[in-house]
Amino acid sequence: MTVFSIFAQYHEGLLAGLRVTLELCAIIWTAGLVAGTVLGVVAARWRAIGWAARIVSFILGGIPILVLLFWLHYPFQSLLGVVIDPFYTASFALSLINIFLVCDIVRNAVADFPRQYLVAARVCGMSRLHALRHIEAPIIFRQILPPLLMAQVTMLQCTLFASLISVDEIFRVAQRINATIYRPVEIYTALGLLFLAVCLPLNGLAIWLKARFTRNLSEL
Amino acid sequence: MIDATGLRRVVEGKALLDGIDAIVQPGAITAVIGPSGGGKTTLLRALSLTHPPDAGRIAIDGVDYLFPAKGEIVPPWPGVTVVFQQFHLWPHLTLRENIALPLRCAGLAAGEIAERVAALSGRFGMERFLDRHPNQVSGGQQQRAALARALALRPRYLLLDEITSALDLEQARILFDHLLELRREGMGLLLITHFLGFVRESADHVLFLDQGRVAESGAREILREPATERLQRFLAA
Repeated sequence: MTVFSIFAQYHEGLLAGLRVTLELCAIIWTAGLVAGTVLGVVAARWRAIGWAARIVSFILGGIPILVLLFWLHYPFQSLLGVVIDPFYTASFALSLINIFLVCDIVRNAVADFPRQYLVAARVCGMSRLHALRHIEAPIIFRQILPPLLMAQVTMLQCTLFASLISVDEIFRVAQRINATIYRPVEIYTALGLLFLAVCLPLNGLAIWLKARFTRNLSEL
Repeated sequence: MIDATGLRRVVEGKALLDGIDAIVQPGAITAVIGPSGGGKTTLLRALSLTHPPDAGRIAIDGVDYLFPAKGEIVPPWPGVTVVFQQFHLWPHLTLRENIALPLRCAGLAAGEIAERVAALSGRFGMERFLDRHPNQVSGGQQQRAALARALALRPRYLLLDEITSALDLEQARILFDHLLELRREGMGLLLITHFLGFVRESADHVLFLDQGRVAESGAREILREPATERLQRFLAA
C-alpha cells in the first residue's frame, strides 16, 4: 500500500480530520490575531496592563501545552463538575496561548516604535490620526507580519496535541487508520505531506516578507 | 518672526536651557553654534514646540505661547517646521511618497501634489532617486529629501538641526546654497551647525550657546571679534 493509495482509500476520513484541524485553526488564529492584537496595543500603551500581560505570558510560557490541555480537560472539568466537548477545550486552551503569543509580538513592536517618525509627522502638520494610519500602523504591520505568520504556523502544528484529549482532528484520524491497517510509514508520510502542503507556503511567505520588509525598514 | 524670551528647560535637575532669548526673523538666518551639550538641539526643539520649554514665552508671528502652558497648545506646524539631524524619513515610503504624504494629509489635490513634488525634486536634483526608499540612497540624498519634505507645505520658518553633520564639504556647500536661496525667498531659518565658515560668511544673527545659556550673541561679526573668552576658546579649538 502506497501513500497515494492511503489518500485514495481513506480520503473521506482524512478530509474530515483535516476539516476539524482547519476549524480548530480558524478559531485559534482568529482569537489570537484579534484579541492578541488588541491586548498587545493596550499592553503597550498602559503600563499596568502591560505588566499583567507579561506575567500571564511568562506563566503560560512555562506550562507545556500538553499539560494545559490535559489539566483543562480532566481535573478542571472534574473540579467544576462539568463535561465540555474536547473540541471546545482545545479551542480555548490553544486560543489562550495564541492570544498571548500575538500579544507579545504586537506589544514589543508598538512599545519599541521609533517615536522620531511621529515627531517628523507632527512637524509636517499631520494629525495624530494621519500619523497612525500612514506611518505608525504600516511600519508596525510590516515588522510584525513575519513573526506573526511564523507563530500561526506553529499554532497550526500545535493543533495535533488536541488529538490527545480525543478531538477528531487529522492526527487522531491517522492514528485510527493506522490502528486498523498498521501502515505507519505510509500513513504518517501522508500526514506529513498534508502538513507540508499547508505549512510550507506559509513559512515561505513569512521568510519572503521578512527579507523584503526588513530591507525596506532598515535605516541605512 | 519667532521671538523667544526666557526659555528654560530642566531635565533630571539639570538646566538644559537656562533663560535663553532667541529670534528668528523672516528672510534671515540665525545660526546657533556652541559645544556639544550646550543646549542647541534643546533650543530647536523648544522653538518648534516639539518639546516645549518648562518656562518662558515664544511668540510666532504674533501668536503667543506662554510656558508652563495652560491647557492644550495649538502647534505652529507646518508653518514652523524642522529638518532633523537624522532626517527621520519614513522608511516604508519612497522619497517621493515621503514628500507627497504631508501634502495628501493636508488635503491637496493629486495634481497639485504632483506639481509640488516635481518642483521640489527639480530644485534639489532628486529625479534620479525619487522612487527609492530612504535606505537605498546616500546620506546626502536623504538630506535633500528631508529638506524637500519640510518645504512641501511652504513653511514660513525652517529649523535645521545639524543636518550637515553626515555630509562632506561639497554636499554641505550645495545645501548652504539652497539655504541662501530660501533666505532670499523670505523664509526665516534657524541653523545649528559646526560649519563656522558658512556662519562667518552668511549668518544674519549668531547665538553662541554654552551650558544652556547664551554666552554671546549678535551679528556674524562676533565671530571675528568675540567679546567673551568662552567664544574665543571655542573658535580657537
